[in-house]
Amino acid sequence: MQATVRIRRFNPEQPANNGKFQEFKLDVPDSTTVLDALIKVREDVDGTLGVRCSCRASICGSCGMRVNGQAKLACKTKIADVSRHGEPITVEPMGNMPVVKDLITDMKVFWDKLRQVEPYLQPEGPAPKGEYIASDESMNHLVGVMNCIMCGACVSDCTVLAVDKNFIAPAALAKAYRFVADPRDSRTSQRLGVLNESGGVWDCVRCMYCVEVCPKGVAPMERIMKMRDLAMEAGYNNTPGARHTESFASSVKSDGLLNETKLAIDSTGIFNIPGQLAQAPVAVRALLRGKLPPLFGHKIKARKQIKRVFEKVEGQE
Amino acid sequence: MKYAWWPGCVARGATPELYMSTVAVLDKLGIEYEEMHDFSCTGAGVLQERNQKLGDTLNVRNFAIAEKLGLPIMTICSTCQGVMAQAHQRVLSNAGYLKEINQVLAEEGLEYRGTTVIKHLLWILVEELGVEGLKKHFTRDLSCLSVAPFYGCYLIRPSNALGLDKVPIRETSLEKVIEATGARVIDFAGKKACCGFPILLINQENSLKMVASHTGTAKDGGADAMVTPCPLCHLNLDGYQSKAAKKNRPDGHIDLPIIHLPQLVGLAMGIEPRMLGFQKHIVSAKDLLETYRAKAGAIAR
Amino acid sequence: MFEHDVLIIGAGLAGMRAAVEAVNRGANAAVITKVHPVRSHSNAAQGGINAALTDRGDDWTDHALETVRGSDYLADQDAVEVMCSEAGAALIELEHMGVVFSRDEHGKLGTRRFGGQKAARTFFVGAITGQAILHVLYEQLIKANVRVYEEWFVTSLIVEDGVCRGAVTLDIRTGELHTIRAKAVINCAGGAGRVYEPSTNALICTGDGYALAYRAGAPLMDMEMVQYHPTTLASNGVLISEAARGEGGYLLNSKGDRFMLRYAPEYKELASRDVVSRSEQTEINEGRGIDGTVLLDVRHLGRKVVEEKLGYLQEVAHDFMGIDLAEQPIPVRPGMHYMMGGIKTDINGATSVPGLYAAGEVANVSVHGGNRLGANSLLDTVVFGRRSALAAIEYGKSAGAGSRNEDLLASEKKRIQALLDRPKGLRSASVRRELAETMHSHVAVFRDQQGMERAAAKVKELKSAYGKVAVDDKGKVFNTDLIFALELRNVIDTAEAICASALTRKESRGAHYRVDMKKRDDANWLKHILVRQSAADGDPKIDTAPVTITRWQPVERKY
Repeated sequence: MQATVRIRRFNPEQPANNGKFQEFKLDVPDSTTVLDALIKVREDVDGTLGVRCSCRASICGSCGMRVNGQAKLACKTKIADVSRHGEPITVEPMGNMPVVKDLITDMKVFWDKLRQVEPYLQPEGPAPKGEYIASDESMNHLVGVMNCIMCGACVSDCTVLAVDKNFIAPAALAKAYRFVADPRDSRTSQRLGVLNESGGVWDCVRCMYCVEVCPKGVAPMERIMKMRDLAMEAGYNNTPGARHTESFASSVKSDGLLNETKLAIDSTGIFNIPGQLAQAPVAVRALLRGKLPPLFGHKIKARKQIKRVFEKVEGQE
Repeated sequence: MKYAWWPGCVARGATPELYMSTVAVLDKLGIEYEEMHDFSCTGAGVLQERNQKLGDTLNVRNFAIAEKLGLPIMTICSTCQGVMAQAHQRVLSNAGYLKEINQVLAEEGLEYRGTTVIKHLLWILVEELGVEGLKKHFTRDLSCLSVAPFYGCYLIRPSNALGLDKVPIRETSLEKVIEATGARVIDFAGKKACCGFPILLINQENSLKMVASHTGTAKDGGADAMVTPCPLCHLNLDGYQSKAAKKNRPDGHIDLPIIHLPQLVGLAMGIEPRMLGFQKHIVSAKDLLETYRAKAGAIAR
Repeated sequence: MFEHDVLIIGAGLAGMRAAVEAVNRGANAAVITKVHPVRSHSNAAQGGINAALTDRGDDWTDHALETVRGSDYLADQDAVEVMCSEAGAALIELEHMGVVFSRDEHGKLGTRRFGGQKAARTFFVGAITGQAILHVLYEQLIKANVRVYEEWFVTSLIVEDGVCRGAVTLDIRTGELHTIRAKAVINCAGGAGRVYEPSTNALICTGDGYALAYRAGAPLMDMEMVQYHPTTLASNGVLISEAARGEGGYLLNSKGDRFMLRYAPEYKELASRDVVSRSEQTEINEGRGIDGTVLLDVRHLGRKVVEEKLGYLQEVAHDFMGIDLAEQPIPVRPGMHYMMGGIKTDINGATSVPGLYAAGEVANVSVHGGNRLGANSLLDTVVFGRRSALAAIEYGKSAGAGSRNEDLLASEKKRIQALLDRPKGLRSASVRRELAETMHSHVAVFRDQQGMERAAAKVKELKSAYGKVAVDDKGKVFNTDLIFALELRNVIDTAEAICASALTRKESRGAHYRVDMKKRDDANWLKHILVRQSAADGDPKIDTAPVTITRWQPVERKY
């Protein structure tokens, strides 16, 4: 089949064409991946093309890049899937990282954040003579996170990192979860304490980009959400994020619906006058436009039923 | 086709203009609906992070109510749609899990068999009416306007739960509707990103940066307005735009009206803007409506 | 110029294990690697790591015997004893570092059975064991704060008066060459899959470590022993782990027969890899294959086992073949996978060149002999990675100071500049492809004199053509075109060593199966074949060495 690949070029030594797309038309077998196509360009057409790749089997994590605007692992992306009717495929370097050359990015930000979460097991006391005893279930659960190949796709497309360089970002947070959830690790509470701070679990916006782009099903956002829950359980519940979650749940539990006014007050903190004043100008304007949510919220008729469901499911925990 | 309409908490709360404009548009499009007064909040993903099974149970309860009525669910909020779709995918792919949830619901006289279809109004427009079918209802040509799409995360991700792979038109549905009205689509990188609403009350600085980035980029790209199928996105992009602009823009201004999907459709259908609730916006839609009144001519039939 | 006590080349399992050991013992050790550590090819080891744990009734001597048998009696038995007796401690140590090994119902480490072994002694993490261990060793590298020269390429070893004193290196990011001096160098540069096409190996497996040592005058041993793995994808050569058969998968021919019942009545699909690959190729050659493949069938294991224990296989089958393993058998064929041969070392990783150590796939201790058992490679890396670090540190204490001259740096600069300056010439990719396809045709599962001679002649021809290779990219920053050209020289030198050794061995043993000499000949060939590059004419020079036999006398192998 015919494939057209548009590659965004960048060469610090020859900046004239930087940022421009170069188009390559290739004749390739139907099962060709985007990486196969790039290798073909590099080997047969233009040896100057910069691209990292190694295993060709989605295990080494080298070939993270943006394909048609979204982070992907090139070796796991079939041409036929991203160009259903033969339309040109756009290939660009990953986002949220500086470009070194063509599709090669400087992943320093990725590795630095990884180091930030103390990414190694820290067990209590001297090691046992044999292995640590742990359930197969708990280990299997961690395999889901260990599946991470550190390709950088989630960091590339993270919408929070795009506005806040301080955010630990999905991959390192998923890595942190791998230790938080490891029964052999002794620093669960301390780890959660750190992750509860600015740049940690509460700064995630739940946009699901990381879940969508992860080529290995690691679902970093779900791990982040689990750590929010664990942080609250561990007693770290006096953050805006924790209060927000609690308030949301209690609103739905009592009314069946969301009470936005109460949510704002609870999230910023009941005694947080500056925090509430921060909402005030908007609230005043909203009131003038007749759109401020009712102060006592609305309720649905079946709220007793909702409350029973809440109590039943929460009781199962 | 008749739908079990779930407006969601926000359309009945802080964005009454969404509710108004939806009603106005549905009636004229001939889409029948029954409003669901006994549905609960979907949990918006927040409840799910605390207790996923609880969130799923509440949603399955909603599905069961619609199933009993024999109606597909219509949503007008990306978040409601996405959260419901995710819950639906989880229970349909795990029979044991659905059984557990049904056990809880049994005591409330409910059971879910897995047949309810859940669709956002946006999808109904492009899939059921179709672009051409929709155009038949349009009386005003909006080619005088440039409109930027903004989807809201939950209508885009996770793509498999939302069926984007099976129904590819969903991925560009908003652009399709804008094009159908005759307006020019202003494409920009952030159209499928987060609006910042979920952390508005947690990390306002980041939230405002997101607002400024999206609305600013669209404005700089020539947009007269931004259209969104998500009232939560609207709340942030509209309500916090001026604050975001002050903090993040050199001139302190963006002034991009954020309009709801049915408002855009309503304008193209020739519905009086007041009936669509434009007066309730925080970023004034005055200039937009002036252009509309002056230049959006009648479509010749 | 940079200076260290120990310089480790390569950041796969062997390299990182060595680095962690060296740094934790207070040595000034650094790792140099042409890719980031977690990109290393140890990732691709899927199935597991072998160890005989006494507390569950296993015995390391059983493991050792099966390893020796698997090797077709070519392994040095003292080395095998070291590896198998230290296996338990090495495994537990990995677990303590944090590897999330699968467990049994009591929460202890769980096992699966692997080829060539009666006992289930393969410990695993789903089908990503290599990746799981590699990432944990990287964590340990971070914890120990090891200096890593990341994305740096070794162009040449510094050997002065016969003693290894460091390496000349190229910082890929800047294009600058640097001398890194070290009292001892541990070569852990991994395999040479790109000498063959197709191969299960990553694109980075270009035989760098073999070639560096070969050119430095260190003998390579048993280089003819190239393992073809029985189950690789026909489309692109990607590996389907032995775990599929370890969990109970069948191999079927076009008639639907489990043909391994005929070739290996006792071990069936879990006979040693050389035996299974030959059986498959025989079926294919005799017309009972399907387009050059046979079928691997795991349907009877059920979806749960397939998804939980063979998850990564399921992913690969889906991505590259569109196959759901729980529903459909998958076509597979033997594919080049592993080099049993390598730099000759003693049981402490010391090579014949003082100051130069080697561990992992690039080394030949020798524990694998003519054929490696599945899941012994990971074990080899951690046991001998650690031991080589200990030996290198000890050696460094009395190594004395070398010179500080930059002669080699200057000549390497000149060599690389000449390559960059060549305006037009051969493309390295096409030279490599031609060589690798020749090797796959003639030095593969079945071999004969004529074919091997043809391959050797082709290698010789391409070696002389190497001088005509040119690069498109004349820049400094991340010039991968240049790196491929430098790697090509390593591919060619490794191929030369393989061909010379293969032509020497006049018998069939392990992976070296000659259709013109089908019998194993212990009387004449129960010995190692050594090959070194002559400093005088650059040609391969052959030698032999005796095999160390401690307690297991060679007998006929039967599976």
